Amino acid sequence: MSVFLSSPLMHNIFAGFAQGIIYSLVALSLVIIWQSTHVLNFAQGAMAMIATYIGMTEIDRGIGYWWCVIISVVVGMTLGGVTERVLIRPLYGKPEINPIVVMIGFLGFLEALAAAIWTSTTRNIAEPFSQIYFKSNGHLVFLSSFVIFQIVLAMGIMLSVAALFRFTKLGLQLRASALAPEVSRLLGVRVSRMLTIGWTLSAGVGAIAAVIIASGNFGLFPANMDGIFVASFIAAAVGGLESPLGAVAGGLIIGLTEQFIVAYWSPDVAPLGGIIILVIALMIRPQGLFTKNTIRRV
Amino acid sequence: MIRVEGLSVNFGAVKALRNVSFEAPTGQITAVLGANGAGKTTLLRTISGLVSPQSGTIHLDDVALVGMATENIARLGVGHVPEGRGVIEELTVEQNLRLGALSSKVNLNEGLEEQYARFPVLGERRRKYCATLSGGERQMLAMARALIAKPRVLLLDEPSLGLAPQVTSQLMKAIRKLCETQSLTVILVEQNAKSALRIAHQALVLHLGSVVAIGDASSVADDEDLRRYYLGVVVT
Amino acid sequence: MDWWRSLRTQETTHSRFIGMLSLTVLTLVITFFLPPVADSQLAGGAAIAIVVLGLSWLTGWSGQISLGNSGFMAVGAYAAGIWAHHHTSTPLVFTLILALVVGGISGLIIAIPSTRLRGPYLAGMTLAFSAAVTPLAQNFSSVTGGEGGLFFNSLVTPKWFLHLFSGPYAAINANAQWSADLAVVVAGVMFFFMANLFHSRTGRAMRLVRDNDVAAELMGVNLARARTSAFVVSAAFAGIGGALYSLLQASVRPETFPIGLSITLLTLMVLGGIGTLSGAVIGGIIYSFSTNLVAHVNSLTGVNPTSNVGANMQGMIFSVLLIVTMLFAPRGIVSLKTPLRRLFRARPLAPAAKEVH
Repeated sequence: MSVFLSSPLMHNIFAGFAQGIIYSLVALSLVIIWQSTHVLNFAQGAMAMIATYIGMTEIDRGIGYWWCVIISVVVGMTLGGVTERVLIRPLYGKPEINPIVVMIGFLGFLEALAAAIWTSTTRNIAEPFSQIYFKSNGHLVFLSSFVIFQIVLAMGIMLSVAALFRFTKLGLQLRASALAPEVSRLLGVRVSRMLTIGWTLSAGVGAIAAVIIASGNFGLFPANMDGIFVASFIAAAVGGLESPLGAVAGGLIIGLTEQFIVAYWSPDVAPLGGIIILVIALMIRPQGLFTKNTIRRV
Repeated sequence: MIRVEGLSVNFGAVKALRNVSFEAPTGQITAVLGANGAGKTTLLRTISGLVSPQSGTIHLDDVALVGMATENIARLGVGHVPEGRGVIEELTVEQNLRLGALSSKVNLNEGLEEQYARFPVLGERRRKYCATLSGGERQMLAMARALIAKPRVLLLDEPSLGLAPQVTSQLMKAIRKLCETQSLTVILVEQNAKSALRIAHQALVLHLGSVVAIGDASSVADDEDLRRYYLGVVVT
Repeated sequence: MDWWRSLRTQETTHSRFIGMLSLTVLTLVITFFLPPVADSQLAGGAAIAIVVLGLSWLTGWSGQISLGNSGFMAVGAYAAGIWAHHHTSTPLVFTLILALVVGGISGLIIAIPSTRLRGPYLAGMTLAFSAAVTPLAQNFSSVTGGEGGLFFNSLVTPKWFLHLFSGPYAAINANAQWSADLAVVVAGVMFFFMANLFHSRTGRAMRLVRDNDVAAELMGVNLARARTSAFVVSAAFAGIGGALYSLLQASVRPETFPIGLSITLLTLMVLGGIGTLSGAVIGGIIYSFSTNLVAHVNSLTGVNPTSNVGANMQGMIFSVLLIVTMLFAPRGIVSLKTPLRRLFRARPLAPAAKEVH
C-alpha cells in the first residue's frame, strides 16, 4: 500500500487534486457573482491578491498567521462589496461588454497598484504548516501537513458556502434574488442588498484561495492570481458558470489535467490543456456540463 | 385602504395610465377590468413601486407609496401576485412560502401550517420543485406565498389566466372568503370580467389608460354599454 | 470643397482611397520634422493602431470582445520573425502578408469553438488563449528561440533614402524615419482595407448581427459564419500589427506580448472610440506618446520615474482611464465635444453608438 502511495501516479493525483481544489474555490466564487449579477468578474483574482497583500504582510509586524488570514478575508469582502456598489451598479442594464471592460480595467489597476506599493518581487509568506512530505515505512507519501491544510480549508469553505445557500434565510434570499429579482422584490427581499452581499461573499471566498496560494510555494506577487483566474474561469465555464457543483468538479478536472501535462510533457503546455478541455466540453454540451436547463442565458 | 389620485404613467411616448383616481376600501374587492393594453397591469405595478408614475399619488391608509422602493412597499403589507404567478420554479413549494414569510414578522411554522390547511395540495407537495406544479397549483402557491406574510392589501394580476373554468370559480370564491374573513383590501385585475364581477364589491373599467367607469360591481355588470364596448362579454 | 466633403463622408471607394492617402502622406510629412525618438514612437504607434483597428472592428461591428489579440499579435510576430530570421532577403511585403495569413488562421482556430460563445465566455476563452501563447513560445524554443527570442534585421534603409540626410547623425535619423514611414504606409493600407470593409455588405450585415441577431438570421445571415469571419479579420490585423511591431524592434521575445498588452489594446480602443477609424488613429497616437505622457505626469506629481510608483504609473493611468471612460463616456474620445471631434468626425463611420452606451 505504501509503495502505491509513493508512486509517481499518486504524486500527480495528490498534487493535481490540491491545485484543482484551489481552482474549484475560485471557480465557485466566480459562479456566486455570475449567478447574482451576471457579471464575469475578471478582477476576482486581483481583488483577492490585494486583500492578501494587505492582510498577510501584517505578519511582518508580528501579528499571528491566523489573524492575518482573517484580516485578508475581511479586506477582500469589503473590497468585493464596494466594487459592486461603485463599479458594477452603474452598469446594470448596459450591454454585457461594458462590465467586462470595466472589470478588466480594474484588474489592470489593482496589479499596477500592487506593484507600485509592494514591488513585483515575489514575497514568501511563512507557511502555517510544514510542506515536507510524510513518510510511511521509509517511503515518501506525497502529502504534507500543508497540502492537507489546503484541502481541508478549501473543502470546509465550499461546504460552508453550500450550507449557507441551502439552509439559511440569507441563502434563500440570495438564490431568489438571482433567480427572480422582480418577484423577490415583490416579496420584500432587498434584492440590491443581496447583490452586494453576493459580491462580498464571493470576494471572501476568493481571498481565502489567494491566501492559500500565497502561503504555499507559489508566493505572493502582483500577478500571482492571473494563471489561477484563467484556470478557474475555464473550470467554471466547463461546469456552465451557473452551477456551483459544476465549478467545483471543473476545478478538479482542470487541476488534475494540468498536473499530468506538467508531469508527462512540459509546464509550458499546461495552459493549453485547460483550453482544450473547455473546447471539448463545449462541443459535448455548449451550455456547460453541469447546467440543467438547455437555454443558456447570454 | 388604497387611495389613488391623478395617477399618470408614460412609457416614452405611450401613455399607459392617464389621470387615474379611485379608492379601494378595506374589506372589499375592487375589480379592475378592461381589454389588453388598457393599463391594468401597469396600475398594479405602479402601486407596488415597480413603475414610477409621471404624476399622481398613491396612499396606503396614510402612507404615501409613490417613490418608495418595491421591497419596502411589500414590507408595509402590500402582497402582489404578479401576472403569470411568479413562482420560482427552481425552488421548492416550501422554499417559495418561506421566502414569502421572510420579510414579515409572522411565525414561519404557524404561517406554513395555516397555508397548508387552506391549500392542502401545497402541503402534499411541499418538498416538490415548483417546475413540477400545474397551473392551478402554481396559482394557489402564489396566493399562499402572498398571504403567509399577513398582508393588508392583496394585488392580484389575472389570477384566472390559463385556469379551467371550474378552478377559476373555486379560486374566485376563495378570494371572496379571504377578503371577508381577513378584512383585506383586494384589487383584482381581470380580463375575465364575468367571474370577477361576480365576487367584486366595486369595479373600475380602464380603457387606453383612462377610467371610463367606476361603481358598484352590480351596476357595472348591468351597464349594457360598458359590457358591449369595453368588456366585450355578455354578463348574465 | 468637394474634395473635403468626400474625405469626410467616405461614401465611395475612391473617396476612401483619397482619404487614407492624404492621412498617410500627411503623417509621412510629419515624420520628416520629428526627432528620431519620436519617429520610433510613431512607428510603434502605427503598428499598434492596426491591431486596435482590428479589435475595434470585432467589438464595434460584430459585438464580440477579445482579450486574445495580444496572443494573435504574438502569433503574427513569431510567424514573421521565424521567417525573417531564416530568410533575410525576403521582401518585407511577403513577410507581412505571411503574418497576416498566419494570424488569420490562428484566429480561425480559436474562433471555431469560441463564436458559439458570447460576451463573458468569449472574453474568458480569448484571455485563456493569450495566456497560453507565451508559455508555448517558450516551450518550442528550438523554433522560437525560447526566452531569449529571435533576432533579425529586415528593415534595411535603402541607399537613396540615406542620401536625403546629412550631418553627424544622418544614419540614425534616416533609419528611424525609414522605419516610421514604412510603418505608416503599412498602417495606411490596412486602414484603407478596413474603411472599405466598414462600408461593404459584410460590414452592414455585421452591424445587424451585433444589434439584432434574430433579424440577421431571418435575413439569411449565417450568424456563426459572420462572427467567425469577424474574428478572423480581427486576428489577421493583430497578426500583421504584431509582425510590424517586432520587425521595428528587430527581435521577437515572449515577454513582448504579455496579457497586459491585451488590456492596453482594449484601453486604446475604448479611449479612442469603439468601432471607428478615427478611434483607432487616436488609440495609436496615445500609444505612441504614452511614455511622454507618463513622464509628464511623473514630473507633475513629483514621482521618481525609476521608483516603483513611477514604473507602474502607466499601468495605473491606463486602467483608470479605461474604467472612467467606460463608466462616463463609453463612446470614447471621438464622442467628446472637443476640437478633436470636428477634426476626426466621420459621420457614417460612427456605428458603435448603439452597442455601447
